[in-house]
Amino acid sequence: MTSLRAFIVTRLLLTIPMVLTLLTLVFIIMRVLPGDPVSAVIGMKASPEHIERIRRELGLDKPLWAQYVDYLSNLLRGDLGRSMIWGRRRVVDEIWDRFPATLELSIAGFAVSVAIGLLTGTKAAVEQGKGSDVALRIASIVAYAMFIPLLGMLLQLVFGVYLRLFPVAGRKSPIIDVPKITGFYLVDSLIAGNISGVVDALWHLALPSITLGIVLSGIYTRLVRASMLDVLEEDFIRALRARGIPEDSVLYKHALKNAFIPILTMMGLQFALLLAGAVLTETTFSWPGIGTFLVERIEYRDYTTVQGTIVFYALLVSFVSLVVDILYAYIDPRIRY
Amino acid sequence: MALSKKIILVVVLVIVIAAAAFFYLQQQKAAKEVIVIGTTDRITDLDPASAYDFFTWEVLSNIGEGFFKYEPETLELKPALAEDYEVKDGGKVWILKLRKGLKFSDGTELTAEVVKWSIERVARIEGDPAWFVLDFVDKVEVVDKYTVKIVLKQPVAFYKAVLAVPTYFPVSPNSYSADKIDSDNTSGGIGPYRIVRFVRDQELVLEANPNYYGEPPKTKKIIIKFYKDATALRLALESGEIDIAWRTLNPSDIIDLKSKGKYNVIEGNGAFIRYIVLNTNIEPLNNKLVRQALAAALDRKKICDEIFMGTMTPLYSLVPAGMWSHIDAFKEKYGEGPNLDLARELLRKAGYSETNKLKLELWYTPAHYGSTEADVAAAIKECWEATGMIEVEIKSAEWATYIDLTRKKGLPITLYGWYPDYIDPDNFLFPFLHTGSNRWLGNPYSNPDLDKILEEAQIAPDKSRREELYKEAQRILAGDAPIIPIFQGKLYVVTKPEIKGVVIDPYMLLRYWLIYKE
Repeated sequence: MTSLRAFIVTRLLLTIPMVLTLLTLVFIIMRVLPGDPVSAVIGMKASPEHIERIRRELGLDKPLWAQYVDYLSNLLRGDLGRSMIWGRRRVVDEIWDRFPATLELSIAGFAVSVAIGLLTGTKAAVEQGKGSDVALRIASIVAYAMFIPLLGMLLQLVFGVYLRLFPVAGRKSPIIDVPKITGFYLVDSLIAGNISGVVDALWHLALPSITLGIVLSGIYTRLVRASMLDVLEEDFIRALRARGIPEDSVLYKHALKNAFIPILTMMGLQFALLLAGAVLTETTFSWPGIGTFLVERIEYRDYTTVQGTIVFYALLVSFVSLVVDILYAYIDPRIRY
Repeated sequence: MALSKKIILVVVLVIVIAAAAFFYLQQQKAAKEVIVIGTTDRITDLDPASAYDFFTWEVLSNIGEGFFKYEPETLELKPALAEDYEVKDGGKVWILKLRKGLKFSDGTELTAEVVKWSIERVARIEGDPAWFVLDFVDKVEVVDKYTVKIVLKQPVAFYKAVLAVPTYFPVSPNSYSADKIDSDNTSGGIGPYRIVRFVRDQELVLEANPNYYGEPPKTKKIIIKFYKDATALRLALESGEIDIAWRTLNPSDIIDLKSKGKYNVIEGNGAFIRYIVLNTNIEPLNNKLVRQALAAALDRKKICDEIFMGTMTPLYSLVPAGMWSHIDAFKEKYGEGPNLDLARELLRKAGYSETNKLKLELWYTPAHYGSTEADVAAAIKECWEATGMIEVEIKSAEWATYIDLTRKKGLPITLYGWYPDYIDPDNFLFPFLHTGSNRWLGNPYSNPDLDKILEEAQIAPDKSRREELYKEAQRILAGDAPIIPIFQGKLYVVTKPEIKGVVIDPYMLLRYWLIYKE
C-alpha cells in the first residue's frame, strides 16, 4: 500500500469514531432538553391519548437505549430515518432538498472571500508599510470580526431597500420558474436554457455571497499578505524581475502560485467555518438552505432530522478536509504521507 | 494588451446590462399578472384532517371550500358546496344537498359518498382538529348521490359554523390516503384556487381553479413567500419583492410604514385574543382572592400602548369585542384597571402585605407569539408589583418545552393566545372554562354551575337565550378569574398602493380571490 493510500484509509477509519461520538452527543443532548417533537407540533387541544398514540408511532415510548440502538442499526444500513414532524419525510430527502442551496451559497461565498483575499493580500504585500497596507490590514480585521447578520442587514438596507439593486431574500424571484434537476438554481437554469433564471439566480446570490465572502475574506487577506511577503523575498522573484518579466506576471503567475500552499491549508480549515457562516447568512437572507432548516428542526425537537443532518455535516467536513490533504501532495511535491 | 483588456471589459459589461434589462422587463410584464404575498407563518399539514393552525387554514380556505362559507365583511354563512340544507329533529339532523357537477382537481366528482368518506376520514385519522367531528357527529349517511345526512350526538346551536371549518372540507378519495395524514398533498379541495407548486418554507404558488363553480378569482396567480422573521418580511416589502406583507410585522414596523405614506396599511378588528392563564390547582393561585387581585392590578392600556403602540386593544372578556354576547365583564367587576387599591385590599384579605409579599412565577414563550412577548411579560410583572405586595419572577421556555410543561400542569402562570375556529362565543368560552374541555391549558379550573350554563348555551336554539347564558358565563369568569384577558389583536396587512380588494374581518383568514392589482 502506498503511503498516500494508507493515509486515506486511516483518515476514513478515524471518521467512524468521530461521527459516532458526535452522534451520541447529539442524541443525548436532544433528549435531555425538555419537550419532544410531538409536543412541539401537535395542537394544544390534542388529547393525551392522541399524543400517546403519536409517541408510540414514532417509537418515543421505548426506553432511551432501545431508541439509540434502533437509530444506530438503521444508520448502519445507510438509513437516516424519517422526520418526526410534518409529513414525516425521509431525512435524506429533506437534506437533499436543501443542501444544494447551502452549497450554492457556500461556493459563491467562498469564491468571493478568496477573490477578495487574494487581491487585497497581494496588494498589501506589494505595498508593505504604506498607508494602503495598513488600511487593508485593519479592514481585514474588521471584516473577520464582523457579525454576519449585521453586515447582511446593512447590505440589505443599502442595496435592497434604498438602491433597490438586489433582492433581499430567497434564492429566486417568485415569478421565475426553475425546473428541479440538480437543485442548484444556476445549474438547473442553465440546463433548461432559462437565461432569466440564470440572471435571477446570480442576482439573488449577490448579497448573501458578498456578505459571507467579506466576513471570511479577512483571514485570507492576512494570510496571503504574510505568505506573499515571504515569497517576494526569494531569489527566484529577483531573478524574474531582473529578466524584465512584467510585474503583474511576477506577482500573480509566479509569486502567488508559490504562496498558495498555506492558503490552501486554510481553505480546508475554513470549510467548517464556511458552513457555520452559511447558517447565519441563510437566516439573514431567508435562504432556504440546510442551516435555517437545522435551526428550525432543533426548535421543533425533530430528533431524527437533527441527528441525520449533523451526521451529514460531519461526513462532509471530514471528506472535504481529506480532499484538501490529498491536494497538498499534488500541489507541493515535497509533501509525503 | 491593455486595449484588448478594455474591450473584454466593455463586452462583459454590455452583456451584464443587457441580461439585467431583459430580466427586468420580463419581470415587470409577469408581475402585473400575479400578486406576491409575504408571511412569517408556515404551512404545517396541507391536509384538512390534520391542519389546525391559522395560516394552513387560510391556504386550505383558498384551495377548498366547506358546505358553508362566510360572506366577506357581513360574516353571514352562505351555502357553498351545499346548495341547500335542512335541519331536523330539533337541530340533531343536518341534511346537506350538494351542488351537482363539482369536480376535484383529479377529476373525481363531489358526491355524498365522497363527503361521507372525507368526514369519516377525519374521525379515523384522529388528528388535532378531529374533535370538530368526534365531539359532535354520531354518524354520516348517504341519502342519494348528492344528499348527505349528518346525525349529531345532540343538537349543536352553532353547527352551521362548524360545517364551515376546513376540517369539514371534502377531499378526493383518489388523491388522499384513507387513514394517514397527507402533509404535502397539493390536491386540495374544490376552491377558487389550486396549488401548482409547493416548496415547504419557501414558496406556494396558487393558480385560479378553472373548475371552480363560483366567480373566478380576480387575480390568476397568487404566490406566497415565506420569511424567517418580521425584519425580513419588512425588507421584502420595501425592496419591492412582495406586494403584500401579511402576518406578522412588528408593531413598530407597522407604525413606521404607516407614517411613510407609501403603503396601504389596512387595519382589521381580529377575533384573536391574548390572555393570562392562572393554574388554579397550584398555591396560592387556588385562592380566588389572589386571582381577583391579579385581575384588578392589570393595566391593559399600558401594555397595548407601550408595547404594541396602539396596534392592539384592551380586552375585558374572553369573548372578543364586537362579537354578539360580548360584555366587558372584567371592567364591570374591577374597573378599567389598574385598580391597585382593590388589588391591595384583596391581597390583604388573602393574608398578604408589604412585608409578607405574594410570590409568583410568570412564564412566557419568547418566539411563538412574536418578539414582543418578553416585553408583555415584563409589563405584567410591573403592573402586579406596583401593588407593593407582589413579587414576580419571570421565566421563559421555548414553545416545545412551554406546552409540554403546561400540559403536565407544572406552570403556575402562563401567557397564551387564541385564534377562533368558528365565529361563535362558544369557541371563546367552552374550550377554556368547561370542566375537562380546558385540560389542554393544564388548567384544572372547574365550576359545575358554569358547566351547566355552557352546556345549555351549546344546544339552546334561541339566540337571545344563548346570549343571556354567555353574558352570565362571562360574569362568572370575571368573578372566578381563572383566566385574565389582556388584549384583542387587530390584524394588519400592509400592501403596495396598487393592491386592492383586501378584506380583513373577524374571520381573519385572507380571501385571496378578492385581491387584485389596479
